[in-house]
Amino acid sequence: MDHIYKHRKKLIYFGILPALLLYLAFVIIPILISARYSLVEWNGFSAPKFVGLNNYADLFKNSIFWRSLKNNLIVVFASVLGQVPIGFLLALLVNQKIKGQHFFRTIIFMPVVISAVIISLVWSMVFNYNFGLLNNLLKFVGLGSFIQNWLSNPDIAMFSVAAVIIWQFVGLYFIIFLAALQTVPNDVLEAAEIDGAQGWKRTLYITLPLVKDTILAAIVLCISGSLKTFALIYVMTNGGPSHATEVMAIHMYDNSFNAMKFGYGSAVSIFIVIFGIVLVTIVRQLFARFED
Amino acid sequence: MNNIKNNFIIMMIFALIVVCSGAVLAEDTVELKMWHAWTGQDAFAKEVLLPKIEEFQKNNPNIKLKIQVIPNDNYRTKLRTQAAGGQIPDIMQTYPGSEVQPLVEAGMLMPLDDIINYWTDDLIAKETLKAYTFNNKVYAIPAKVNYTHFAFYNKDMLQEAGYDKWPATYQEFKKMADKLKENDIVPISLGNKAKWVLQSVYFSTIADRVAGADFLDKVLAGEKKFTDPEFIKALNIIKELADNDYFNKDANSLNDMEMRQAFYQKRAAIFFGGAWDIGGVIENAKEQNMNVGIATFPSIVGAKSPQALSGVTGSAFSIRAGLSEAQQAAAFKFLKFFYSEETYTDLLRTGSFVPAQVPLPDDISPQFQSVINLVNEHQIAPVYDAVLPLDLIQIINNGLQSLTAGQMTAEELAQQMQDNL
Repeated sequence: MDHIYKHRKKLIYFGILPALLLYLAFVIIPILISARYSLVEWNGFSAPKFVGLNNYADLFKNSIFWRSLKNNLIVVFASVLGQVPIGFLLALLVNQKIKGQHFFRTIIFMPVVISAVIISLVWSMVFNYNFGLLNNLLKFVGLGSFIQNWLSNPDIAMFSVAAVIIWQFVGLYFIIFLAALQTVPNDVLEAAEIDGAQGWKRTLYITLPLVKDTILAAIVLCISGSLKTFALIYVMTNGGPSHATEVMAIHMYDNSFNAMKFGYGSAVSIFIVIFGIVLVTIVRQLFARFED
Repeated sequence: MNNIKNNFIIMMIFALIVVCSGAVLAEDTVELKMWHAWTGQDAFAKEVLLPKIEEFQKNNPNIKLKIQVIPNDNYRTKLRTQAAGGQIPDIMQTYPGSEVQPLVEAGMLMPLDDIINYWTDDLIAKETLKAYTFNNKVYAIPAKVNYTHFAFYNKDMLQEAGYDKWPATYQEFKKMADKLKENDIVPISLGNKAKWVLQSVYFSTIADRVAGADFLDKVLAGEKKFTDPEFIKALNIIKELADNDYFNKDANSLNDMEMRQAFYQKRAAIFFGGAWDIGGVIENAKEQNMNVGIATFPSIVGAKSPQALSGVTGSAFSIRAGLSEAQQAAAFKFLKFFYSEETYTDLLRTGSFVPAQVPLPDDISPQFQSVINLVNEHQIAPVYDAVLPLDLIQIINNGLQSLTAGQMTAEELAQQMQDNL
């Protein structure tokens, strides 16, 4: 027996190899190259000048960077606390035997497959101060005092943008949860019902623990997705007004490709990687404790 | 049956001829990769520059241009990024001053010494090529002069507010704007999402006038500082325009196209734009029966260069260093054809300003004639994002937005610029 297992292990490694090589070439090695660039001062043309950890020192001294980190955290929280629960609730609803299940499934998933640029343009129009749908709707129902300058007011622009991000990706988590819910065996649910666990109780004590792993995976996906959010905000507000919606990826892009500070830009991207790993580790630890 | 066979043989022979002639052609053909940013929406590109490129290809079948068109906003980023990777095309549009400088310093572009006499000094004055001249060598020939500042105003709306003339002074302008606001009209339509509009269109001319047309050169030479009172005064004018609510409230979330739209839809009385807007404004005014006037910012008390008008040469092509002899000859041939006297005359006809000294054609439109007269009352002065280093452009673009959003004071922005110099 032992021998067969060993043999299989080799086979498994062999099977992983092509994917691993691709992953190395297109993810790991570029990250390492980035890490090297983060230690130099380089405008893309001249010879790179080694400056040690200066770029990181600049980074931590830059108030705009801290602002972009804060904005990024808003996106992370909005996504984890918005997308995941809403997606889960919708999945629970559609998982009931209701009429038009297919229709709802398609409608809810739709935003995920639309390009970020189109979504941004559509929502820019919805948010438009003068003739946008949102302000007109508020006026129409007599809530004229709630009319806001959704994307131009630095105090609320970030939340307007975050709402769109939630809207776009709810469908993704909805589909993931729906698939997970459909794997929950019916006999378990029936048994629970016989034991007196009905309605919310059944969801809380039977369904939820059974799809717990999927939830963890969804949260991890959600965090990493939120940390690299870029296109939607870039098109909708270009990071403005006055850095109010600038997230780390936009901060990195502006500095590398517009100001041509490739060293500094690389430092930002390395920070994003480390920050992501830390955040995901914390979530996994929390879940592990939750399990005990 | 026989017929089909014959047809087949004829076809085979024909195919053979095509293949052979292709091979023969290929031997003498020079291929040049070309990048430019003219998508063909503007009259000057649609009617002059793009047809010129086509004509050149028709006249020179042995020079094959492989053209890639990249829209303006992305063009600069793409060129910079490709250049950082050491991969630039053979002929490329380059932008003046600090944009092209790193490419020159990295030795990626070829100086045009060998053919520069074709243009200087009879057709183009050497001084005009300043934005593309480094160490006394010229690296590109421009087709146009882009003045980045004009005020376009709706005469009827101004009249309703009691003004049948564009105000002469800034004081008067403010009074007029207040009056427009009382009439529930947005005085100025602005779309500053992309952040360059306030800097290129507004601030360059205002700062050139208030602080002097030579201020920027002096700062870069270390003789002046951004924190000097004249520069802060210029910044405060932008802040004042915003604080007085002369702009539409959503200025920071609209792009420049939406800004023009608001003007055409009569939701605002004025918008500031560049020379690139003149053609469109004249056309739209005709279509919609709008009474549009063209002016520049009213005079400011204490201005050092009161007649300054920010402008920069553009639509220039550079050639990559390290071309083969045949390629170089082809590229030179192209430049001479493309930047000929005829081109500049045609450009004038479409309402563009040109860097060359060519006589005005007789059939020029009266509207454009009046704009030329307006420009002739002014002196060309630097556009900030054509002169400042790249990271300072970022700072001032973002800073002007922060200024209008009330997130920063003029003094803070000036200090930040000085610190990063």
